[in-house]
Amino acid sequence: MNCEEATDLMDGYLDGELDPVTSQTIEQHLRDCPNCEQAYKAHTALSHAISRGAPYYKAPTGLRERIQSSLREEMVAQPMRNVGRDVQPLFPRRQPGPRSILFGTSWNWLALAAAILLAAIIGWNLLPRLQRPGPDQLLAMELIGSHVRSLMANHLTDVASSDQHTVKPWLDAKLDFAPPVVDLASEGFPLIGGRLDYLDNRPVAALVYQRRKHFINLFVWPGEAAAARPAMAISHQGYQLLHWVDPDFNYWAVSDVNANDLQTFKQQFAAQTPHH
Amino acid sequence: MAAPLKIDYAFNAEDLESSAKIVKFTILKKHQEPDAAQEHELASFEETMLPHMDAAHNLAKWLLRNEEDAQDVVQEAYLRAFKSFSGFHGSNGRAWLLTIVRNTSYTLLKKNRAVDLTTTFDEEIHTAGHESVSPATILEHSEDAALISEAMDELPAEFRAILALRHQEGLSYKEIADIMQIPPGTVMSRLARARGKLKEYLAARIGKDK
Repeated sequence: MNCEEATDLMDGYLDGELDPVTSQTIEQHLRDCPNCEQAYKAHTALSHAISRGAPYYKAPTGLRERIQSSLREEMVAQPMRNVGRDVQPLFPRRQPGPRSILFGTSWNWLALAAAILLAAIIGWNLLPRLQRPGPDQLLAMELIGSHVRSLMANHLTDVASSDQHTVKPWLDAKLDFAPPVVDLASEGFPLIGGRLDYLDNRPVAALVYQRRKHFINLFVWPGEAAAARPAMAISHQGYQLLHWVDPDFNYWAVSDVNANDLQTFKQQFAAQTPHH
Repeated sequence: MAAPLKIDYAFNAEDLESSAKIVKFTILKKHQEPDAAQEHELASFEETMLPHMDAAHNLAKWLLRNEEDAQDVVQEAYLRAFKSFSGFHGSNGRAWLLTIVRNTSYTLLKKNRAVDLTTTFDEEIHTAGHESVSPATILEHSEDAALISEAMDELPAEFRAILALRHQEGLSYKEIADIMQIPPGTVMSRLARARGKLKEYLAARIGKDK
């Protein structure tokens, strides 16, 4: 590690937000480099100064009562909250009396019936469309985005190696799980390397395979609740997504290879990992 | 063609009328008094959220630098939080509330003092290599609340907030990213810039004193 890298990561080190391997590398560098060590000490002193010296603005007395009374006012003014907000605008406060005038003319009710019928028809037609971007679809977008970025930004791999015994320990050290890594060169899918990525609100492993001129990103993370998602294949914007699970992990393969190639890839990968 | 339609309408009208009366009856009743369920919801909200009032006020004060505005924002944030409390299922009430405080503060900042925010995004704030002040000197002044507070005041709102969240609330990068609505990868570099800038301001002030 050189001084520039150490400077860039110093704040993360100070805040204890780096992974253990990087932390150790920085520690080593600070031992070896007096300049960076001095800078780090200044940083620590500054942290200390902010924590000790900067005023903490506690809420003044009276704010609590002010908040509580405004919450109570809010509850009295809008007691409909629990019934559901959408109901409210349908029956606005301009209802003249307790009852009867609105109910007197059946014309209003015919209009209302027609409106409800219309709403039902519109709803019936719109609903499937609105439901389409469900959690899986959002994840699929995220996956494609990640795949495209990995090809675009010259950041396909963090560790470039066709040797699974290099890629796997590297990933194991960065993640809180140990993803299965297999080389599928003899099956026509050579391993190119591995990468850390962030998907579905968690750090994930991305294994990169090649198929002729195309790349396959295989995203892997532990099962948990996500394992409940059934296996599926999605085709979107010319990209193929293939999802499967085994007892330990969630897999998402993303690529611009054709769907059959991706299926083959999945079968080969599953066949060579311990669980299938 | 006309006959079946008529029958249909009549059927619908009659049916709807009877169920609508029931709906209306419950609305009238609801308007009179908040029921036990709502009292319960409020109690549960207060229990979850009021302990974070100091944190909320501290963040608002660092962002806005004005006591009156800070209190208004905290009150407004609590109201907003209460309105969407049914959608809150997480365990991190503090981070959730602080996100709302941040948003409410920004709404106010954007309305009143756009300048204060834009300075934040001034990429020319560049701090590398300003090490004119020694660790010992900083430590010497670390108890000087007035000095540190003045130097903090010179920072843009977003820098003040991120330093307060990290050093006073002790929040993780992930929580800070959520609250400030910046990518997790940006938190470290933004903290670095805020600290570098603060160090520079402190150095200038300490130099002046001597």
